[in-house]
Amino acid sequence: MSVTVYSTPTCPWCKKTKEFLKENGVKFKDIDVSASEKAAKEMVEKSGQQGVPVTDFDGEIIVGFDEKALKKAMKK
Amino acid sequence: MKNEFDFIIIGAGGTGLAAAMYGARLGLKTLCLGHSHTSELPIGGVITTTNIVENYPGFIKLTGPELAEKIEKHAREYELVTIKEEKATEVKKNKSGFTVKTEKGTYEGKTILFATGTKWRKLEVPGAEEFENKGVAYCAICDGALFKNKTVAVVGGSDSAAKDALLLTQYAKKVYIIYRGEKIRPEPINQKRIEQNKKIEVITNTNITEIKGEKLVNKVILDKEYKKNKELELNGVFVAIGHIPLSELAKDIGVKVDKKGEIIINHKDSSTNIPGVFAAGDVADKPFKQLITGVAEGCTAAHSAYEYINEEKVKVS
Repeated sequence: MSVTVYSTPTCPWCKKTKEFLKENGVKFKDIDVSASEKAAKEMVEKSGQQGVPVTDFDGEIIVGFDEKALKKAMKK
Repeated sequence: MKNEFDFIIIGAGGTGLAAAMYGARLGLKTLCLGHSHTSELPIGGVITTTNIVENYPGFIKLTGPELAEKIEKHAREYELVTIKEEKATEVKKNKSGFTVKTEKGTYEGKTILFATGTKWRKLEVPGAEEFENKGVAYCAICDGALFKNKTVAVVGGSDSAAKDALLLTQYAKKVYIIYRGEKIRPEPINQKRIEQNKKIEVITNTNITEIKGEKLVNKVILDKEYKKNKELELNGVFVAIGHIPLSELAKDIGVKVDKKGEIIINHKDSSTNIPGVFAAGDVADKPFKQLITGVAEGCTAAHSAYEYINEEKVKVS
């Protein structure tokens, strides 16, 4: 399983998403898009939009803190 | 007994959390519910979307999320406080008080506090919905970092709009403030910062009539020429045109609201027209809305709820 969270340090929903994944024992790579323009571009290309957080859950792109979508992705 | 409380607070922003802390200090078994029916903000509420807070006594300067975390931690110190991240979907009066339903449970409360806050007012022009999160954003602290070296605009003339613009200068190369009125109206300290910031340009007496782009936003159309052009090329539009009070649940049980939809409270004790029902914070009809004033109203409401419960006990005995 490969999970990446694109986030910014100040975004409350990013914090929520990461807390939720941790609580559920999901290991993930945390990418701060405010620190890297390249990462920000990658996130926009993957998700087609510019809002954080974006979670790449094994190729499935989840925009925002979407508990239902995250749970569904975990079950797969 | 498990789901019976003295004081149920709907909304777990700074106001609700402060009220929970104070309710517990007064011996009230308190439930604080994380969301009202339409708010999507996390625990901590709208202050979590503010970058820098400099007007909360005791803290010279800290971020909104940091302050929210401290207020939440303070409330959680009390055993009598239960905080649940559940959305209240229905409130009803019953014989002895009120029933609050969430998507996960049903709770009984002797008193209710609406600390439901507000939601962002959306910009209603062609392209605004289509390009939401594709250049149109409502949370500068969340998404500002994605506009590094880009040109952006903040729509609005309030202090919040000014603070968003100042924050965005940390990332963007150029920040326009587009405001329909004659003069933007931030707090004087932020007005001065705006004037001194070379990245910021203020366009007044002007509205955006359309947002255009391909995959992402690339320009806006103005209702009057700016520098001889009605088109303004940019990559992001941050909307800060005010808030809509979340008072629907309160209205359902007959709580009176004003023209704006704000809950009418007695400014002495945060009570509403319904006995046992209180309101505080951004959803209430006080003109000056800051976390510090919401916290004060929340604590006042907790005290009023305490007094109300004691008076009811006397009536029964």
